[in-house]
Amino acid sequence: MKRGTRPSGAQTLQWVSERGIFFFTAALVAFAALFIDNFVSIVNITDVFHRAAPIGIVAVGMTFVVISGNYLDLSVVAQVATAAVVLIAVSNSAGLGLAVLAALAIALLYGVVNGVAVGYLRANAVIVTLSTTFVGLGILRWLSGGSIFFGPPDGPIRALGQVKVVGLPLSALVLVVMTAALAFLLGRTNFGFLIRSFGSNRTATRLAGVDTSRVVVGAFLITSLSAMVAGFVLAAFSNTAVSTMAQGFDFGALAAIIIGGTSVFGGKGSVLRTLLGVIFVSVLTNILVLSKIGFGWQQMAIGALIVLAVSVDTLARKAARR
Amino acid sequence: MILRTRGTLAATGLLVATGMLLAGCGSGAASDGSDGYTVYALLPQGNDQPYGTTYLPPMQEAAAKAGIKLTITNSQYDADKQASECEVAVAARPDLIILWPAVADTVRPCLEAAKAADIPVTVTNSDVIPADKSLIKAYSGPDTYGQGAASAEIMCELADGKPTGILMVNGLTGNTTAINRRQGFLDTIQKNCPNVTVLAEQPGNWNKDTSQTVTSEMLTSVGAAKVQGIYAADDTMVAGAIDALKAQGIDPKPLLITSIGNTKLGNPLIKSGELDGTIFQSSSWDGQNAVVVAEKVLKGESVDENLFMPSVKVTAANADSPEVAPEW
Amino acid sequence: MNSTPTLSLGPATTDRSARLRAALARRTEWRGLALLAVVVVATLSFEPLVFTAYPVTLGRVALIGLVALGLTAVILMGELDLSVASTLAVAGVVMASIPNVALGIVVALCAGLLIGLVNAFFVVKVGINSFIATLGMLFVLRGLAFVLSGEKPVRMADIEAGIAFGAPIIGPITPRVLIFVLVFIGLQIFVTKVRAGREFYAVGGNRQAARDAGIPVSRRLVTGFMLSGFVAALAGVINTMERTAADPTAGSTVLLASIAAAIIGGVALTGGRGSIVGTLVGALSLGIIEVGLTLSGVQVDVQQIFIGGVLLLAVITDPASFRAVVGNARSFLSGRRGETPA
Repeated sequence: MKRGTRPSGAQTLQWVSERGIFFFTAALVAFAALFIDNFVSIVNITDVFHRAAPIGIVAVGMTFVVISGNYLDLSVVAQVATAAVVLIAVSNSAGLGLAVLAALAIALLYGVVNGVAVGYLRANAVIVTLSTTFVGLGILRWLSGGSIFFGPPDGPIRALGQVKVVGLPLSALVLVVMTAALAFLLGRTNFGFLIRSFGSNRTATRLAGVDTSRVVVGAFLITSLSAMVAGFVLAAFSNTAVSTMAQGFDFGALAAIIIGGTSVFGGKGSVLRTLLGVIFVSVLTNILVLSKIGFGWQQMAIGALIVLAVSVDTLARKAARR
Repeated sequence: MILRTRGTLAATGLLVATGMLLAGCGSGAASDGSDGYTVYALLPQGNDQPYGTTYLPPMQEAAAKAGIKLTITNSQYDADKQASECEVAVAARPDLIILWPAVADTVRPCLEAAKAADIPVTVTNSDVIPADKSLIKAYSGPDTYGQGAASAEIMCELADGKPTGILMVNGLTGNTTAINRRQGFLDTIQKNCPNVTVLAEQPGNWNKDTSQTVTSEMLTSVGAAKVQGIYAADDTMVAGAIDALKAQGIDPKPLLITSIGNTKLGNPLIKSGELDGTIFQSSSWDGQNAVVVAEKVLKGESVDENLFMPSVKVTAANADSPEVAPEW
Repeated sequence: MNSTPTLSLGPATTDRSARLRAALARRTEWRGLALLAVVVVATLSFEPLVFTAYPVTLGRVALIGLVALGLTAVILMGELDLSVASTLAVAGVVMASIPNVALGIVVALCAGLLIGLVNAFFVVKVGINSFIATLGMLFVLRGLAFVLSGEKPVRMADIEAGIAFGAPIIGPITPRVLIFVLVFIGLQIFVTKVRAGREFYAVGGNRQAARDAGIPVSRRLVTGFMLSGFVAALAGVINTMERTAADPTAGSTVLLASIAAAIIGGVALTGGRGSIVGTLVGALSLGIIEVGLTLSGVQVDVQQIFIGGVLLLAVITDPASFRAVVGNARSFLSGRRGETPA
């Protein structure tokens, strides 16, 4: 985004504020490395990635829905749980290949239903995805009976969960690869350009002859596929799946996206920012647990950070405009 | 604008009033006098949780056998929703209400309302607080406080008077079962074996993956070398904790590890020696006896104030016994 | 999956569809009323007890609807308050922690007003989008409820007062229902008769135009958020009184149910369109469905599938959806887009 010339002090301020999340994350990691015992250890960094990977994979996908100006996809909770349960339950009875296919079909269905209702029927995304959450979780619990499913201790899912790449879990690599691929999609392709311009000015984009509805379907499909991958990662990590998994992923992922600096008005934001937002929240939670701080305070800290991060960003922007 | 609003309001009122009128006309025979009893079971979980999934079938089976028509609700641990369901149940005038409190501290008004309507109440799974005991006919189920205490007893035995530092993985924050099990465990180690100290605690939310991550982080926090034991509030979470140990290259066998459940996930861990002790909780016993106790009350038979599920300690010695065959 | 019946309406003759659209667009509550009519007829034939036991049904409606009424004031201005459920929990814990009931109620309600003021501060003074500011507050206040309560339910000191509060006062009507009705009447008068309230629509419709017309937009926003915070706290107080204890995890379903009630009643999340009556209609529909399904003993997962389906149907049958479908179909038929859909 190009801007006109501004007084240099304000310009610097804006330059800093636009990169706020980079500095915040760097500062937090530096603080933790200096003052928290054992923060820098392969074991602890693995834990940070165990926190970051599942919700992060959801968040990088959901960034597309947010940038398209459609608030969020509440149904990711149902989607992650469904993918995990299907992966383990179906592969136990019919093999891994069929399980992946079944999960893929369900993910596509979610993406299409959400996308068509929001894109073509112009229905509100919050309510559409709230209703698909109800229907989806209802069906999952109806069919799975709420049981815990676990894979055989020597099965392929368990084995995948144990794979390490340069000392880190495979899920960390999946998170990085997903981020890179989606960043490319958003930043370098025509589809990504459309989604960004659609989010910033819907009417203009539509008048330019773009099929905005189809772009929205695309955004929801990407979110659904990401949620499916997150479900696989979660299932492989614990080798278990249950319909109550992934609670809080909806607003948790949104919080990471917002802390990263993506605007809920749509138009502005990036996948890399979301990744940093996720890492920021994961490192923060990790530090609080390492310091033996209770759950209530953890929640308060995350909430305060959302408000703080966005306040600093907004105030700096205002100052720059003056 | 205002006129139109009035029109909408009138239409709304008319719709609802028509409903009430029509229902009023045909309501004479609302509660049919067919034989058998009608019973409402107000539960906070059902097919949405693993425990509830294996709790329900024996309950329904026992009800069918006793000729009880059972209406089951599930408030999903929302106290306000359960209170509303209680009002619904009282309004339906069943012969009895089976209550599994979502939040034990909040059920007093429900019990009072049932009493005022002359509907007997029996409680299942999680007991009401002592002050409310006079309002219920009987309680059947595990003693969630006692389960935490029994798990602590195993821990005390294993620690054998030696100073032992342990980590604690709790259930979902604010959940009644989680609160009671934690309190039972803490009270018992304080009384029986003050040599066992809790180095750190975090909620594992009844999840294996959450438990694995927080356990690993607590190990980092206090230093793995200082940890001689782990207590987790259920078998699913203890499985996560054991995985966390293994992932850090720590052999779980020498550590003192206890939990609660003896589920299909926990029982094999007992047999392999990684988990030292757990407390058997039979969901089918729980569901079945909820109805058995209710039936006795309905027939006017005398019942004990409490029918506690036997808190059987499961260790390597009895892990294969058919009496403690895992159910979920 | 639910889109097929609506799609078939698409290429209808312009004349009839224009009239239909005009009729639908005139008022915002039609969808809610139609749903309510269906719900009433259905429950009458399957579960008439919903109406004979009307105090219970009204209690459920009041439980779902109270927070939604306050929230509607904010939504009318094109803003959102995601912190209502956490406000409810904090207010309950605050109230139960204070031994004197009257003092507890006053402090809890003041806490609600204060929370509304804090939300408004971030939205008006700092200039953050309300969706984000109140999302942050959602986490902060939930954490606060856990910290204040020690992560356990807090029992009221005076339990008898709570039980007395739960008893019917006028006929079979409980104070909860009475307060709900009073809040409804108060807010309805406020947004239709009082100038400040009527200006909410202008603020939500076109903010710049509202400013140009001399409407104090900031002050209206502050009023709206404080209303929402106050009503949420009031709901927390009522819940705590009726249950005789405050649960820090309370309100888990309140936020989404409130938004759903408002949307079903035709309140537009973009602001400027909708009414308090609409929210009442939405809450009535949801309440009657829930009580009906509970009385019929339908298991909770099937209930969820059902409610989700109704909600989806309600939201995709918005007049705007009809227009969107017609527009899409027209441009598709006229061949403006040659490529095959993805």
